[in-house]
Amino acid sequence: MKKLLQTILRLASLSMLLILLAAGAAMAQGPRLQTSSLDYLAAKASQTVDVNIDEHLMQMTAKFFSSTDPDERNIKKLVSGLKGIYVKVFEFEHEGEYSAADVESIRSQLRGTAWTRIVNINSKREGSVEVYLMTTGDQISALAVLAADPKELTVVNIIGPVDLTKLSELEGQFGVPDLGIEPPAKTKPKN
Amino acid sequence: MKKFNFTIVGVTTLALILAAVTGTRAKGDEFGAVVKTIEQFYHVKHQSIPFLGRAGMKAATTAARIRGGQYRRLAEAGSIKVAFFENQDFNSRGGITNFKASLTNAIGDSWSLLVQTLSPKNEEQTYIFIRNAGEKINVLVVTLERREGVVVQVNISPRNLALLMQSPEDMGKAITNDATQNDN
Repeated sequence: MKKLLQTILRLASLSMLLILLAAGAAMAQGPRLQTSSLDYLAAKASQTVDVNIDEHLMQMTAKFFSSTDPDERNIKKLVSGLKGIYVKVFEFEHEGEYSAADVESIRSQLRGTAWTRIVNINSKREGSVEVYLMTTGDQISALAVLAADPKELTVVNIIGPVDLTKLSELEGQFGVPDLGIEPPAKTKPKN
Repeated sequence: MKKFNFTIVGVTTLALILAAVTGTRAKGDEFGAVVKTIEQFYHVKHQSIPFLGRAGMKAATTAARIRGGQYRRLAEAGSIKVAFFENQDFNSRGGITNFKASLTNAIGDSWSLLVQTLSPKNEEQTYIFIRNAGEKINVLVVTLERREGVVVQVNISPRNLALLMQSPEDMGKAITNDATQNDN
């Protein structure tokens, strides 16, 4: 009887573990990156910026930009359809204040089949800048940037139809830092 | 057994009291709850009365510059709540991130944290919380520095919020200036 109970408990624990793993994997495949694992860095960083613009706010923002003012019309066009902008920037006084594991906690979420790393990206910034796109069918559904300088760690997660042109236009706006990303030059088709 | 029952009754009563207190806060005075949290965490005391007069509730022409463009009035007349902390010691003793937890707990679930900037070394921190209030948006800004702090709550129009959203890092400063500036 005791043995049976032990077996049931083991199976229940295993099932729970499997459910949790499946939930974790499902979450990792979503367009929204989980960045709370980095929150502890705020105490070490000399400066932290954390911006969370959710879908509701994004849509409201787009709605209230004027369609007649040329500047506002551009911004309206830029943010229309976006479902969220989430930015975390940690600046440190010294090198080595964040670990490879911190970067990995974000990168591991971008390793799924839903995300594709854009390889031919150039950035004026020092350190590594990785840009990832999530596509659903033919549509881009999210973009993620992971920029790791020796003294700075940046995670940008834009949800919605956004491409690299849009990203460079968004730099310096809506909390998106200046990433210095140069969109890949279009190659001319060979005759 | 009797002692055990008393413990259960005691814990249940305490939980009910706490739930009632939390419920009361959720219905209304988050501004007060935030000010109280700052006072308790940092052992400081706010000054509100002299400045509330100075803040100029007429709100006629107070303005803030938005992204170097035109001047606009941000806060809706009569909606401004301000609490100042002047010449006081905001020293978190390395626990600046713990303060955020206390703050978010105090403000409750109806508000969303839009922007947070922290500079632990300089004891500088800004939090901007927003909440939908029908046709208006409630904005609550907490700005703390080493020797002073300001808590501001205002109602702003969605259009003003949209314009401010272009530069969320400057939003707290713009709203605080708007709410505390007196240009009468």
